[in-house]
Amino acid sequence: MRSVIAALALLSAAGLAGAAAAHAFLEHASPRVGSRVASAPAEVRLSFSEPVEPAFCTIAVSGPLGFAGVEPARAATGDRRTLVAPFRRPMPPGRYLVRWRAVSVDSHVTQGDFQFELKP
Amino acid sequence: MRARMHAALGGLSAAALAALLASPAAAHGVAGNRFFPATLATDDPAVADELSLPTISYSRTGDDPAATELDVSGEYSKRLTRTLGVSFADSWTRLKSPGEHAVSGFQNLETTVKYQVLTNAEHEAIVSVGLSAEWGGSGSSKVGAEALGTVTPTLYFGKGAGDLPESLAWARPFAVTGVVGYAVPTRAHELADDPDCPACTPLRQGTTRTVEWGLTLQYSLRYLSAHVKDYGLPSFVNQLTPIVEFAASSPVRNAHGQRTTGTVNPGVIWSGRHTQLGLEAQVPINRDSGRTVGVLFQVHWFLDDLFPRSIGKPVW
Repeated sequence: MRSVIAALALLSAAGLAGAAAAHAFLEHASPRVGSRVASAPAEVRLSFSEPVEPAFCTIAVSGPLGFAGVEPARAATGDRRTLVAPFRRPMPPGRYLVRWRAVSVDSHVTQGDFQFELKP
Repeated sequence: MRARMHAALGGLSAAALAALLASPAAAHGVAGNRFFPATLATDDPAVADELSLPTISYSRTGDDPAATELDVSGEYSKRLTRTLGVSFADSWTRLKSPGEHAVSGFQNLETTVKYQVLTNAEHEAIVSVGLSAEWGGSGSSKVGAEALGTVTPTLYFGKGAGDLPESLAWARPFAVTGVVGYAVPTRAHELADDPDCPACTPLRQGTTRTVEWGLTLQYSLRYLSAHVKDYGLPSFVNQLTPIVEFAASSPVRNAHGQRTTGTVNPGVIWSGRHTQLGLEAQVPINRDSGRTVGVLFQVHWFLDDLFPRSIGKPVW
């Protein structure tokens, strides 16, 4: 029993010490997941649960006819958990699909997609 | 020449790293947008480096008179390759019947080899096959551990609803997982006491074969907020997965009067960075399965996240 408790204490310490990383799950996005926005956003901003490696992360956005896409993803200034990709203009009204792929600093890969809508 | 060699080696290293990172396989039960949490009563479909310790269950048995049963279990799972893993599980049981002293001891050791056959990101699907062995006689007969071992070929599956059409987007956070195994005792016959004549010579009877099966229905609030619609709920809430599990055992050959037993377990799982906590009620499906609603609690550790460069990565 003592060895079990010792093992659990070690695991807890490893987690609390922050030495371990984890899978990077999407926590927040701007524009917000599933939202309808009134004006064209300047950028897509994705905040993850863990620090990510921007060189291996991608953000791709598809939209209505005439949409020009996004610039390559980069880390937000001073925040390794957040990726930013500025929108190219023009951004016509309609539905947009954001696809992302993130690699956390311990090399775990996660991916996902979501939609938002730009009102006419 | 040397510079060219360095450049070539650098290119190879970068290509190897890129290839590694490009691989869709990942620890945890991840398939595309879907994360399948480790479930409490049934085994999840993924191969992973993880530790379930402790899993605590408290219930009243279906015996007459009913005994109270406390189980404290642990399971360690280790990836040998990215898709092949082994696991070791055991339980400590304490039984207390009315008017009798409590008895306690370990159940039989169980080992499982599991191979993740399919991971489909687009359809959020995982399929695995496995072979479990219960090592008869390794536990204590006082708490019901059988002297006879069993071998159970098992199929595991998980399917997310993320590929539903836009009109059903609200249902995309749903997922189902399941497991079905055919438990075959390691001997075809065994000697059993005659219940009508305990003093008589034991009877030779065929051993019982069972189908061990289970299903889960889960709704991921993380999936809802990250892929469907973010309602601005606190992070803690977005890490919850309400779940209903169903786990059962059905005798299919040489039943000797046994019936299907099992429980329906409504509950919730919280998935954090390195750990997962699960709490479920255990509702018996019939009298043979138990007398009252039990409780099931589990702490689950993601070893691949805690120790990604040592015990948390595949051996090969």
